[in-house]
Amino acid sequence: MFKLIQLIENFGQKGLAFCERVGIAGIFLTRTALRRPRFLRFLPLLIEQLYFIGVLSLVIVVVSSLFIGMVLGLQGYNILQKFGTVAQLGQLVALSVVRELGPVITGLLFAGRAGSALTAEIGLMQATEQIASMEMMAVDPLWKIIAPRFWAGVISMPVLTAVFDAIAIFGGYLVGVEWLGIDAGQFWSNMQAAVDFRVDVINGLIKSVVFGCIVTWIAVYQGYYTVPTASGISRATTRTVVYSSLAILGLDFILTAFMVGGW
Amino acid sequence: MGPSGSGKTTLLRLISAQLRPESGKVFVNDIDIHALQTKELYQLRRSMGMLFQSGALFTNLSVFENVAFPLREHTQLPEEMIHDLVLMQLETVGLRGAHGLMPSELSGGMSRRVALARALVFNPQLMMYDEPFTGQDPITMGVLVKLIKHLNDILGLTSIIVSHDVAETASIADYIYVIAAGKIIGEGTPQQVLHNESPIVRQFIQGLPDGIVPFHYPAIHKYIQDLGLCSN
Repeated sequence: MFKLIQLIENFGQKGLAFCERVGIAGIFLTRTALRRPRFLRFLPLLIEQLYFIGVLSLVIVVVSSLFIGMVLGLQGYNILQKFGTVAQLGQLVALSVVRELGPVITGLLFAGRAGSALTAEIGLMQATEQIASMEMMAVDPLWKIIAPRFWAGVISMPVLTAVFDAIAIFGGYLVGVEWLGIDAGQFWSNMQAAVDFRVDVINGLIKSVVFGCIVTWIAVYQGYYTVPTASGISRATTRTVVYSSLAILGLDFILTAFMVGGW
Repeated sequence: MGPSGSGKTTLLRLISAQLRPESGKVFVNDIDIHALQTKELYQLRRSMGMLFQSGALFTNLSVFENVAFPLREHTQLPEEMIHDLVLMQLETVGLRGAHGLMPSELSGGMSRRVALARALVFNPQLMMYDEPFTGQDPITMGVLVKLIKHLNDILGLTSIIVSHDVAETASIADYIYVIAAGKIIGEGTPQQVLHNESPIVRQFIQGLPDGIVPFHYPAIHKYIQDLGLCSN
């Protein structure tokens, strides 16, 4: 009986601690995102972070999307061939990529490449007292360090997703048309007929904005509230990748459920 | 001053409102610092400076940019004036020649001198030093002692030094508080503290390995029990 009470007590304590963390993270996001803009001073910081977070993630996104598109083309061709509908390959590749694979895989790659780097960078700034020294110089680190990174992540993700979509479709084209001999006109015209810009492309980009927001939020929060030791930073970085990946996959289901009415 | 783990740095962080006290109040210049809103706190912090143990320089900025950072953030000074002010500040700490270096190219002592120049760039009224002498070679330690004393005198600052380096701190301090386990255990001028009769203060000042602060961390079991030589 005593053990059962202790178990319930522990469960309750963990629940309260979780609620507290969610509350702190929510306030943290609000204070970061809803700041009074000082655009001219903010812009250089934002551009710098767009380069580090967005441009430097391009290589992994381009290479991954090319191979994913090619694999999708190959697998799709083999299946469609059994039904004699290989001409539908363009449609299959485009809809798969634009609706699901583009935002989800870009989000996962983004979490692994940029999210982990953000957490490690901010965590190291905590450990070396750089953030404390900034506060002592009366400069708000949320404005100077966190906000540019957060907005750069939110802006970068849809752009990276658009690049992913385009390259993956090109990869499907290379395999389907250039290698396996599907007619290029059929490939593109079927794709054009099947893909709706507002329903498919825009919804995919909405997903990517949500994923960008959630991944960057998790990354900067984990970095800012890290235990300022080597193992603390290591654990925070791992948490960023794990939480971000789970959040992307979970939110993808929820967003798809909302959007599916439009298809 | 006080032994490691006595709460010196915590006290400094309470004074600068980096930490919030669970009870009690901290007054800086007659202002309850923990009752201030963020904006007012930042306003007050412009008259405070702090030298962190690690220096806490921004690793992505050069020495020059580190010292220029507070000026760029809080003033609209023209670039030529910032340039001159930064070089004057670096000249004061003897590192004008290092203005183009990155923090990774500096020694520990040089990092602290650059951090000192940065902390003093706004001529603060209150300057706080967190273990400024720890881990420094004798030459660097001598340089830091001289700089802290010299700058304190010429700028007319109020300085709080947190340290466990007895000789260096006693050589420049006007008044010393010795703390242990979060409590003041001795205070006075350097001479008074150096001749304090309290056993714990004497142990700290003379650097005795055993005494009121024991050499052995308290163990739950007897030594012989931990070695498994006795069952009870």
